[in-house]
Amino acid sequence: MKKKIILEGIFPALITPFTKSGEISEERLRELIDFLIEKGIHGIVPVGTTGEFMYMKKEEKRKVYEIVIDQVNGKIPVIAGAGASGTREAIELAEIAKDLGADAILVVSPFYLKPSDKGVYQHYYTLANKVDIPIILYNIPQCTGYYISGEVIEDLAEIDNIVALKDSSGNLAYMLEIMNRVNGKIKIFVGYDEVVMPALTSGANGAILASANVIPEIWVEIYEKIKRGEIKEAAKIQKSIQKLMRIITRKGGILAVKKALEMRGKKVGTARKPLNLGGSLTLENIEEIKLELEKLELVPKKEIKVEIKKTPLKESFIDLEISPQTIEIEKLKIGEGEEGEEINKVSIKVILGEKDSKVAQVYVKALAGLINGREALTAVLEPNLMIKPPTIIIPEIKIKSLRQASIIYGPIQAAISKAIIDFITKKEIEEQIIEKYVMIVKVSANPSLTDRREAFRNTYNAMMKALAMLEVIK
Amino acid sequence: MRNKKKLYGVIPAIVTPFKENNINEEVYRELIENLIGIGVTGIVPIGTTGEFIYMKREEKIKAIEIAVDQVNNRIPVIAGTGANSIKETIELTKIAKDLGADAALIVTSYYLKLTDKEVYEFYKSIAEKVDIPIILYNIPQCTGFEIKWWIVEGLAEIENIIGIKDSSGNMKLINSLLEKVKDKISIICGHDEIAATALMAGADGVILASANVIPDKWLELYRAIQSKNLDKARQIQREIQKITRLIVKGGAVAVKEALHMMGYKIGETRKPMIAGDFFTFADIEELRITLEDLGKINKKPVEFIIDKERKIITHIPAIPETPEKIVGLTFKAGEGFAGPPIFEIAHIDLVLGLRNGPLGSIIKEIFEKYSIGHKPKIITEKPLTILVPIVRVRNEKQAKLVYEVAAEGVRRAVNKSIEDGFIPKQIVDEMVIIANVFVHPAASNCRRILMNNFKAMRYAIRKAIEGRPKIRELQKYREIFRHPFRYQP
Repeated sequence: MKKKIILEGIFPALITPFTKSGEISEERLRELIDFLIEKGIHGIVPVGTTGEFMYMKKEEKRKVYEIVIDQVNGKIPVIAGAGASGTREAIELAEIAKDLGADAILVVSPFYLKPSDKGVYQHYYTLANKVDIPIILYNIPQCTGYYISGEVIEDLAEIDNIVALKDSSGNLAYMLEIMNRVNGKIKIFVGYDEVVMPALTSGANGAILASANVIPEIWVEIYEKIKRGEIKEAAKIQKSIQKLMRIITRKGGILAVKKALEMRGKKVGTARKPLNLGGSLTLENIEEIKLELEKLELVPKKEIKVEIKKTPLKESFIDLEISPQTIEIEKLKIGEGEEGEEINKVSIKVILGEKDSKVAQVYVKALAGLINGREALTAVLEPNLMIKPPTIIIPEIKIKSLRQASIIYGPIQAAISKAIIDFITKKEIEEQIIEKYVMIVKVSANPSLTDRREAFRNTYNAMMKALAMLEVIK
Repeated sequence: MRNKKKLYGVIPAIVTPFKENNINEEVYRELIENLIGIGVTGIVPIGTTGEFIYMKREEKIKAIEIAVDQVNNRIPVIAGTGANSIKETIELTKIAKDLGADAALIVTSYYLKLTDKEVYEFYKSIAEKVDIPIILYNIPQCTGFEIKWWIVEGLAEIENIIGIKDSSGNMKLINSLLEKVKDKISIICGHDEIAATALMAGADGVILASANVIPDKWLELYRAIQSKNLDKARQIQREIQKITRLIVKGGAVAVKEALHMMGYKIGETRKPMIAGDFFTFADIEELRITLEDLGKINKKPVEFIIDKERKIITHIPAIPETPEKIVGLTFKAGEGFAGPPIFEIAHIDLVLGLRNGPLGSIIKEIFEKYSIGHKPKIITEKPLTILVPIVRVRNEKQAKLVYEVAAEGVRRAVNKSIEDGFIPKQIVDEMVIIANVFVHPAASNCRRILMNNFKAMRYAIRKAIEGRPKIRELQKYREIFRHPFRYQP
């Protein structure tokens, strides 16, 4: 007889909060569990992949099981992560979990060395026979290096206390194969955050997710909508979190989850080494996570008001020490352009001069970092494709974050460069002529500008307008 | 079973030169002639490196014709005649025979993936229908599957199957082949990076893309092994390891870039294969430097115009893009990028010029007015080279990486550029370089930071002096460039 526990709905793959010194933080763990239960989750999975089981000692795992079971206090099922490379160790963990009162265990397929079908079957078969606790199989080829074959799962599903599969591969073809093979004998959990909605609508019973630590309420909403048949609405919500999910699953995993929780005000510490911030989770992507949480209104938005002063074009280069008089005396060519609305607006001012003019001098100063602490950059189509004439881009608004920097050193830089080479091509300007000049581009874009395609498009169009104003070099 | 071994030695998989999208017969003949002159033991026209995959049947026929005619029986011509379908393969192989090719190199069907049985029958049915020696061709990087040793063992029994070319780079497979079929067919290594190892293990010969570029080195290495001088062979292998790595990465693109730099009017690869894609712009710069180190690029006099009265001539390892005269030395801008790994990439923007230009006028200011975290540092005095960090330096670790590690790379690059003639010795006291250096805050691998900054700085100086990239090149990429930071995560 299969034990009756309700294995349906949204189950966070609970992170393990650590203190500053790297010890398990009981207090933070209990707080996090209360927060998740309050948001309506249907079950909880401590000491899984997201819980950093592979960096924890046996006694630590026991401690986490204990705390979680105590704090949950029977309100929802507790599925203890009890995976190990060797069968003996898996059995030990399973026994601990069972003795402490876990409702089920989640057991990853053996990793490092890769057993074939017989070995995998034996691992689970032995475990299921030795320990009388419901077992959830766990397929995560990203970590183990192989899939649990459909044939093996078909056989394992016959065993009484094997009750479900968690599939974290993200491969829907595989998941549908398993559903077809086991034909309802065991439950199916999706474990890949990016494909939860299609998996649930295809018949998965629930989801065990890293991101459910961060956005439990959103997942519960998606789950409930799908249950009610409101597929379109569910799809809409999934779409709104897609980028955040992509970052979590592919660009930072546990580090991303912990960082995101911190942004939501939950102190959980960072992940254990060798995972490290700036490594699998880049500093740029930390900013992206924040931005996504702001969009979802889960963290307060910091509105940055930027006033772009309207300055007559000729006076726009005074801060670069190029006065209107200099422009006239040295016959410098100037232009400006603007495109886009509100936060997407990009304004551009351009000044062009020969290589012995004041413009060249300011170019050098900007490159040497002497312009007001603003970080100037050379215009390139992409690295190793520097544009001609040599053009330096000076952001008008001080760069404060890496994400803001990545908009400038990305779409804006590329768009300015493309506009220049397109303009040269359109006007059929000869290389010999271009060789005489250098150019400075002042660009202002709102620090809250986040849409990279808008940034590119608006910069390109603004730059084209500005270039058109330069008297075409004959 | 008698021994059918016929192939041995160093056999270039020759590139097909194109001009206005036609085969450039003149250059094709020139290349073949030069390779024979150096002593290669055979040639493979229209193999993978010969871009058979982008050629029409009539073009392939023409290429075989030219090759056979130019070689004129001096060495074997092994025509690449593989195609997806058996029918097409048989047709082309028959044509190759009629045109006078000595053997056919036949790749397995390469779009749909074949099972072992299908591979066996593919070759068997071709061998039965053609009367020309056949060489099996294993190249899983392209076909998506490997020909197993037990297939080769079976096929080796067939009369006109005389060899296998293995381009997988998998020494385990080569060793299995040596174990199983060494006495029956020729075992030819087709992966440049392990070719020397394969020869030492007992392979009969090599068919290589890099043998277009360094046939002399390969022949020297081959002969060293023949005469059992393994120390010498190993030494040559180390000397050419880097260029083989680059050529394996870039394939026909790399070979054509190299031959172009060496002075052949070789033309470009066919679309969609384009330089600056998987073979990156940084790879191309590095290829040039590697060729220089191997003595494959001739030095040419270049005239630096200092002012109306003064001209200085240096000897630069020149590529066709190198101008004969360098003008405008008061202001030159350049940029260079080198990686991987991702966090240790180096990106340098620089300006260089004579002190009497815009650079000279602001040197004082640089040290007086810099902003916090962007403190400039003099890296070397001759020429005066000032490093400016582009990312604000916030802690000691960052400071060390920028001002010590990256700076050392920059310093070496400046000195090397003087040695290479890109900066004339005579004007080092008059010249200033300002280099804007990027070190990612998350970088940690010091050796890579140093090497990447060395490379990026060398590229930047060369590009500034030579005025590269040219407008023409920018135009070529203006629709297809891919800025790495243009997209959301």
